Amino acid sequence: MNDIKKKRTGNLISIQDSLVRARFFDDVIMGETAEISVDGKFLQAEVLQIQPDPKNADAGIVEMQVFEDLTGAKIGDEVVFKGTPLSVLLGPGLLTSVWDGLQNPLYKLSEEDHYLKPGMNAPALDEEALWDFTPSVKVGDTVSGGDVIGNVPEGKVDHKILVPFSFGACKVESIIDKSSLNITQQVAVIVDEQNKKHELQLAFRQPVKTPIPFVDRAIPSKPISTGVRVIDLLAPVGYGGTVGNPGPFGAGKTVLQHSLCKYAVADIIIMAACGERAGEAVEVFKEFAELEDPTTGESLMNRMCIFGNTSSMPVAAREASVFIALTVGEYYRYQGKKVVMLADSTSRWAQALRERSGRQGDIPGPEAFPMDIPDQIKGMYQRAGDDLGTGGSLTFIGTVSPAGGNFQEPVTQATMDATGGFWGLSQDRADAKKYPAIDPLVYTTSVYDGFVSWKDRQKMIQTLNDANDIDQTISTIGLKKVPVSNYIQFQKGLTIDFCVMQQDAFEKNDACTRPARLDVINEAVQNLIDSDIDFNAGDVDDEQLKELIKHKFDELRQWWRAWNYSAISEEEISTLPSAVDKFILQEEYAV
Amino acid sequence: MIRKEINKISEVGKALISVEGNPGVALNHVVELLEADTNQSLSFAKAINITEDTTRFQVFNGTTGLSTQTKIRMHEIPLTAGFSNKMLGRSFDGAGEVSDGGPDVIFEKEVSTRLDTLNPTVRNVPKQALWTGIPMIDVFNTLVKSQKIPIFAGPTEPYNRLLSQIAQGAQADVIIFAGIGLKFDEYHYFKEQLAQSGNIDKTIMFTHLAGDSQIKGLMLPDVALSVAREFGDQGKDVLVLLTDMTNWSNILRNVANYQDMIPSLQGYPGSLYSELAKRYEVAADIEGAGSITIIGATTLESLEDPVPDNTGYITEGQFFLENGKLKLARSLSRLKQGVNGKTRSDHRAIMTAMASLLADAEKAYEASEVGAANDAYSQKLLRYRTDFIDNIEEPFGEPIELEPALDKCWAILKRHFEPTETGLSKKLIEEFWDNN
Repeated sequence: MNDIKKKRTGNLISIQDSLVRARFFDDVIMGETAEISVDGKFLQAEVLQIQPDPKNADAGIVEMQVFEDLTGAKIGDEVVFKGTPLSVLLGPGLLTSVWDGLQNPLYKLSEEDHYLKPGMNAPALDEEALWDFTPSVKVGDTVSGGDVIGNVPEGKVDHKILVPFSFGACKVESIIDKSSLNITQQVAVIVDEQNKKHELQLAFRQPVKTPIPFVDRAIPSKPISTGVRVIDLLAPVGYGGTVGNPGPFGAGKTVLQHSLCKYAVADIIIMAACGERAGEAVEVFKEFAELEDPTTGESLMNRMCIFGNTSSMPVAAREASVFIALTVGEYYRYQGKKVVMLADSTSRWAQALRERSGRQGDIPGPEAFPMDIPDQIKGMYQRAGDDLGTGGSLTFIGTVSPAGGNFQEPVTQATMDATGGFWGLSQDRADAKKYPAIDPLVYTTSVYDGFVSWKDRQKMIQTLNDANDIDQTISTIGLKKVPVSNYIQFQKGLTIDFCVMQQDAFEKNDACTRPARLDVINEAVQNLIDSDIDFNAGDVDDEQLKELIKHKFDELRQWWRAWNYSAISEEEISTLPSAVDKFILQEEYAV
Repeated sequence: MIRKEINKISEVGKALISVEGNPGVALNHVVELLEADTNQSLSFAKAINITEDTTRFQVFNGTTGLSTQTKIRMHEIPLTAGFSNKMLGRSFDGAGEVSDGGPDVIFEKEVSTRLDTLNPTVRNVPKQALWTGIPMIDVFNTLVKSQKIPIFAGPTEPYNRLLSQIAQGAQADVIIFAGIGLKFDEYHYFKEQLAQSGNIDKTIMFTHLAGDSQIKGLMLPDVALSVAREFGDQGKDVLVLLTDMTNWSNILRNVANYQDMIPSLQGYPGSLYSELAKRYEVAADIEGAGSITIIGATTLESLEDPVPDNTGYITEGQFFLENGKLKLARSLSRLKQGVNGKTRSDHRAIMTAMASLLADAEKAYEASEVGAANDAYSQKLLRYRTDFIDNIEEPFGEPIELEPALDKCWAILKRHFEPTETGLSKKLIEEFWDNN
């Protein structure tokens, strides 16, 4: 983008909700940001389109979306073009931050007023905090965009200070020694090939719609331990992978997102609360701050940052919030960190695009979404990935809120097309309070080396599938006509579903299952699947036998659930496979 | 203060008028429409769409009787709502004007109706239960102070009766009733109920009757919620009843269509989600101040309709009313986990166990319809289902406190099942099974 120093302005000629048009006489750059002066406040806007002015051949008309409420705006109000595209401030202090969708720090804004008013803003990162900088380049070194010039500790995270990505080859003219400084102070001066000097600080601005590059992009393969059994066993996601997580309301998307925030093994979690309930974001940054990160023992917030563009905030900022969050994720990936980004919900992001394109008068596609919505969704998920060059990864898990719970709608369809994994939440399972309501028969994954072997996984799925089929048979022709052997298979599937696939996110010991425990569970599950159980019922008819079988399995399930909730020590954990073995032999097992 | 007047209405539509040229009016600012000869005030209107060539207004009282001669007086301020403690016990229309025929209210202050977003950092995490005496709510889907939750119901269901029953028992300092598109008998019913329960002196009613001006119906929630918010900011616990938000959404749809907006689903504008969210998000427990709880009513033909569908994504759960019963399967309180872990030790477990058994029972019921539920266990489930519907899903009756309601649940389980069939832990079975 050009370095235009001259102040360029325009004046409003039309105002409709968050879309405005202005007449200008100088030059306007597509995608640049602008400030509109309304009643002495400056409102942020972004250029969407540039057209000729039918009334004045010397002028042009620019169409912009405004990120704040325009109440009070009048025809003729001044617009000042900023020359820079929508960007995010990257530097130490990102972690633990809570922003709105445009990276305004919410805690800082709350000092001014309880309510978010148009025109309010504050520096994205704390400008007073001091960071202990250690340089890693010397005067005369050649550096270019993305190179490391030093580092600061950001909590437990080693935060590398990078040359902004827009730079080509430059020489280091000066660099400060090891020292404590804030993000506005100069750390280095570099000289580009045109002999132009540039001052560097600990933080810099990066355009959000220009992806930060990969060094050596790779296919995601190593699975993330999410702590959620149905995911880790059946539908694992790899570091750098993408997952679409659609579900009708009430199916448990939020609880699942919160579980992932708490338990996914990652260096950094970024949450883009995009157009969703404010209360849910609040729960994360107020309650998670008091929870311990299982790997570091510190507050969970120390590895998180949150963009809270909640449902009542200006719609135009929703689109921005997802790109801003993605760019922060790419920045940490470039530093070699394993980043998981959760976007809740990408449907609200798509709806923001729909509202905008409707106002712009674009010809609508299916359900009035813009025609190119599938491409925009793909482009967004493509920014996630694994980088062998840096050792970092950016995993993107997006929830989808399909209208009417119908997975055929455009956003869900485009997401299924764009992502490597798909966790479909089922209304039926949610109605039966079977949580997490990921249907063990409706998902996809692109990770083949999960936490259990492919063969074991297939056997588990087969048993669940059989149980589902037999269940349907029972519902249609009645239990009496189902053979005993099928009934046992049905009970096995039911047990795996009830004791393994279902998990209580609100029970301390059950909420998260790590790979070691999964191994134990898998051993028990495989033994149960392979077993041939003789129920020694003696002289009873089929109906009585089935009742006995159900009773025995009920007891096992009760025992197993109790194990889920209570087994903590290694010794307690190891009781599961032996209890299942005893069950198979129809012996007494310990209580 | 001399107010600028203009006199060039060029277009009069169903709820909108347009003025040619640029009179200098600002977005969302209010103007007053005056009879050309007599200067008699006809209505207020709000600027919603401004270009250098035309300005469009939403007319609060409807456009019937307006002409191109009608004068427009500019007020140069956005819409505000009058606020006063003297509003308690009184009724107002959608623009905040007295509508009960009583004396004028002298307002203490004017509050903005813009419904700015509350900074999320000043929200408290909701932790305080609002007990209703209805077991289906208290045990299974506990209501929490500052929650926003609608009742989903078919148009003929007794949703207003349920709403008023919840309101009567609720612990609130102020009750704000916001009725949009009400039938007169509904308005009358609420007024009677509130009077009988002795709550009328802490209630403010904002009502828009079916057939009143659409724009006044459209504005009503903003006016009512702004007044509610002012009470909340002053430290009061406020309960807002919004009925019926489907009526409100339909007005939104009509007005969007008058404005030639591109419809998304079933004619509703693409902004339906954001518009509903803006109102429901007013619900909050505010740090250092009071709280606002919103219980809405959303009538529906099908859950997939855009209004209940979008509402479900916005609110913190929903109560689902069908055949006069509060159905467990589709009802949900998203905030219940914050409160039901601090009640009796069996609360969460019995809630899960009964729900899971009921889901099985629903399957058995479907099977029974084709004659496939002939085994003994299915028969058990069917008996349990009937018991559950009659005794737990019934919302109307004598209020029951939480612990007796939990005991009642145990009694139902014991009537139909063996302990192991419930999926409840041995520990809980030992503690509670034989005591009930």
